[in-house]
Amino acid sequence: MLLEKHQELITELLSRYPVKRSALLPLLNLAQREEGYVSEAAMKEIAKILDLTPPQVYETATFYTMLNLKPIGKFHIQICKSIMCGLVGSDDLIQWLQNRLGIRVGQTTGDRLFTLSAVECLGSCGTAPMMQINDDYYEQLTAEKVGRVLEDLRREGTSPLKSGPFMFPQPAGSR
Amino acid sequence: MANQESDKFVTITVDGITARVPPGTLVIEAARQIGVMIPHFCYHPKLAPDANCRMCLVEIEKIPKLQTSCSTPVAEGMVVKSSVPNVEEARKSVLEFILANHPLDCPVCDQGGRCDLQDFSHEYTPTTGRFKELKRIFPKEYFSPLIETQMNRCIQCLRCVRYCDQVMDVQALAPSGRGTMTEIKHFSIHELDCEFCGGCVQICPVGAITSRLSMYDFRPWMLKRADTICTYCGDGCQITIQTKDNELIEVNSTHGAGRNNGDLCPRGYFGYHASVHADRLNHPLIRQQDGTYAEVTWEDALELIAERFSQIKLAHGADAFGGLITSRCTNEELYLFQKFMRVVLGTNRIDSSARYGHINGIQALRRVQGTHRWTVTYEDIVAADTLLLVGTNITETNPITGLKVKEAVKKQGAALITIESLLPIRGTISNITTLASHHVPVHPDYFGLAVLGLIKSVLEQGLATASLSERAPTFVQSIRSAVGKVPWETVERHLGLGRDTFVEAARTFSQAKRVIILAGQGVLRAPQGSDVVTNLLDLLILTGHHGRPGCGLGTLAEENNDQGAVEMGAVAEYLPGPSELGDQTARKNLSKIWGDEIPQSPGATLMDMLEEARTGRLKAMFIVGENPVATLPPQAKVEESLDGLEFLVCQELFLTETAKRAHVVLPACSYAEKDGTFTNTEGCVQSVRRAMEPIGESRPDWEVFSALSLLMGNPIEYGEAKEIFKEIRSAISGYGLLGPSATPPRIKDEVVDRYLQEGFKTDVEVRYAFEQENTQPDEMLTLASVQSLFHSGKFSTRAKGLLQIQASGFLNVNPVDATRLGLADGDPVRLSNTRGEATTKVKLLDRVPVGVAFFPEHFDQNIRGLFSLETDPQTRVPYFKLTRVRVDRMQEEIPGKG
Ligand code: SF4
Ligand code: SF4
Ligand code: SF4
Ligand code: FES
Ligand code: FES
Repeated sequence: MLLEKHQELITELLSRYPVKRSALLPLLNLAQREEGYVSEAAMKEIAKILDLTPPQVYETATFYTMLNLKPIGKFHIQICKSIMCGLVGSDDLIQWLQNRLGIRVGQTTGDRLFTLSAVECLGSCGTAPMMQINDDYYEQLTAEKVGRVLEDLRREGTSPLKSGPFMFPQPAGSR
Repeated sequence: MANQESDKFVTITVDGITARVPPGTLVIEAARQIGVMIPHFCYHPKLAPDANCRMCLVEIEKIPKLQTSCSTPVAEGMVVKSSVPNVEEARKSVLEFILANHPLDCPVCDQGGRCDLQDFSHEYTPTTGRFKELKRIFPKEYFSPLIETQMNRCIQCLRCVRYCDQVMDVQALAPSGRGTMTEIKHFSIHELDCEFCGGCVQICPVGAITSRLSMYDFRPWMLKRADTICTYCGDGCQITIQTKDNELIEVNSTHGAGRNNGDLCPRGYFGYHASVHADRLNHPLIRQQDGTYAEVTWEDALELIAERFSQIKLAHGADAFGGLITSRCTNEELYLFQKFMRVVLGTNRIDSSARYGHINGIQALRRVQGTHRWTVTYEDIVAADTLLLVGTNITETNPITGLKVKEAVKKQGAALITIESLLPIRGTISNITTLASHHVPVHPDYFGLAVLGLIKSVLEQGLATASLSERAPTFVQSIRSAVGKVPWETVERHLGLGRDTFVEAARTFSQAKRVIILAGQGVLRAPQGSDVVTNLLDLLILTGHHGRPGCGLGTLAEENNDQGAVEMGAVAEYLPGPSELGDQTARKNLSKIWGDEIPQSPGATLMDMLEEARTGRLKAMFIVGENPVATLPPQAKVEESLDGLEFLVCQELFLTETAKRAHVVLPACSYAEKDGTFTNTEGCVQSVRRAMEPIGESRPDWEVFSALSLLMGNPIEYGEAKEIFKEIRSAISGYGLLGPSATPPRIKDEVVDRYLQEGFKTDVEVRYAFEQENTQPDEMLTLASVQSLFHSGKFSTRAKGLLQIQASGFLNVNPVDATRLGLADGDPVRLSNTRGEATTKVKLLDRVPVGVAFFPEHFDQNIRGLFSLETDPQTRVPYFKLTRVRVDRMQEEIPGKG
């Protein structure tokens, strides 16, 4: 499946490392971009590609909180709960989001549109409180602003309020 | 390597005591050597240091912070302190953190009483903790039928994970999650699917991984222990059988113990219930007129046997008898059996299960180098720089020898050449070919041809040792001309691999310093088995490795005492020693010890005896623990042979297919109930010790032979097994120095010389000829009956633990073949060929070669009829492990198997 679809990219990823298994994280990332989460089938396939066993892939996949092991909604809201954002009211925002979406942290809305996660510092403390939705950052949040973002996403699938992505180097697969 | 610098030592002091250790030694090990036990959890001598638990912290002078002694190598003049206040303080903190989460449910924990955490907590912690937080709790999850996890107890030392990876090369365990919430899992929520070696259970320092077979059944201090030897394969692992009130509770093996160094395979670790299965025979049985069996006393049974044996001897002479014994018996029993047959009955017509293949290797070794054993040991395997494995799925047949190979490759970086039919694909159990630096994938029919290819390549590349052309010019020339007659095109047509495949392998092999060849069942139990082993010895000679220290060839024994059976003379062609039947010196020596004549008539092998029984020449057989009816294919007509006998005695644990045809059945003890010795595949003689009282009225086999001899008026009496061993040692001088390691024999130069000058000539043309033109029609598959990791013969199919892993046979086929034949996993199929048909189910397995199907021999009841039977003209080994079959998907489910 992965291999069928991304043969070239995978060959390129593998060529970057002297040891095959070093390509584990890029491949997990690729799998997640493909389905929104890392499925068992993907882990098995990655194991095969890298000459690992599925448990070895699972080990790494469960270590990184950025990797989702269950299907998630179309928009993955990761709101920062670390200290800087905490000092300027992320707790309230999280509460607000839970109420607005009708789900708790870790859950997905019934229409499979939003998944809410509370995460550690995303390195944007200067513009706290902040959240990341899929690849985009939303900073200096207020409840009102978050509300608008949700509405935009629901309606348009994107929101002009975003300030990202600022990813460097470019994620694998985006080229 | 450290060996070469063994004269160099480093001096350090630990708690004021001086230790002199080789450089590179870890501080924790240096301390252990002088009797200072530094507490530790994550460290284990078998594993690379991980230094994750911090329990082993020590103070080292001149280093400001405490150091982990498990990962710090010694340095000259190092001063280590392991019992100063700040070290003790550190230990307390480590324990406090562990106990912050550990449930301390010792009263219901199987580890209680032998738990490192319990011991260290007792020693180092205050009785109160400062943590008020709730303990971490993992929801209970089903882990596997045989292994249970209790993750609340886990201290996250990762020993289990590292063992499964570094030692087993299975990689079935994963620490999942992170931080405190790390838990050991298999793959997500799936139940464990692995080799079930039990290693993780054994190596876990706490009770987080336990065996379900003995869960909650015991407290360690209630158990009676006996160190003995496993009977499930030729590796001869030391196991500790633990019993409570004569009930088998648990089997394990101590680190450092035995040839296996505490490692086991699933058969050893989980297979112990076979010997105490409810079907064990409890009383002697005599068959009645109507075919039923009556339970009788030992006296009645033995008297009847003695009477009938004497009558038959009187009427038809000594050679009307035949004896067959299983190589699962002890050396003492095998020795006594042949002595009984030779002295009391007066015949050389004896054979044992070593005939099924092991004898092939022995004959080649004797012929070329004058030894009947390996000239190398497991230690040599680990120290080898190049290993050549031929025709062996070593993980499944000889798992512990396999671990030595893995250690050589993974830890020491040895090159591994495999000539095997398995494809190098990973799976839930390890696959030695995935570790190979040169893998030559070969159809199971053609191992001999692949060996020929390797030799051809050695000669073509001029890699043969120069001095040999002077020492034995004809030898080299003959082989050169013989392999020259098999062109590469022929090799290529059959193997699908040409000259190029062999170039690198031949070079690696020739240029190595320490080379070991291991030949397995694919060679020994297939036509020309002995020839292929001889050719492999030729290869060692040609490349100049033969006779060099650390170099040699080993054959892998299937049964635990195949080697002993031959050495005890329990085979047709040998007296104890083994010495040739016609060896006058040996005969003289033996008859002096026995105080009796040794029969003159020739021996008879299994197949010959069966033949003679059919023609009426053989009148009576004494079969001990062997079950030829269920082993040989139907066209061997074993039933017919046995039914034609005037008298058949079987001595058995169970009423087997063979025993059911006996006139008298005697209940024998299992290995767990007797004393003696076994000789493993590398020739190490090891003690078997009684772990429990005999079940029912069963008796050790040797006692029965002794009792019978008494009744037959020719007493060969012994008080205990040890006395027999003493006699063995006088019959075979120096036999079995019962030491911790094997003492391999040296090759006999005069024998090698004779072979190189003359001996090789008799058959060099034949050995290197290749005539087989087996074309396989597309719709046919080659069916190979193979050993499974989870079973051993038919015996293990009575072990409830092993049955939980594998309870039946199925046809392993490659997905490519499955697609071609329209088969899916689990499909019922009909196998057919000209000999008949059988039904089974399909299980896809990536590592099975295309065009081949594997079936576990332990469950071959229904498919045995499909195999061809061929007897080796020289060694009389019956070959019945390969055939060709058509495989068709069946429309309806197999009744009763769905
Ligand atoms: S029992 Fe299985 S998981 Fe445990 S060490 Fe052995 S192979 Fe690995
Ligand atoms: S299960 Fe046992 S061996 Fe494995 S990490 Fe936990 S405590 Fe260590
Ligand atoms: S079957 Fe062989 S490898 Fe397994 S424990 Fe027994 S002797 Fe060892
Ligand atoms: S604390 Fe929220 S981004 Fe750093
Ligand atoms: S034993 Fe040294 S850190 Fe675990």
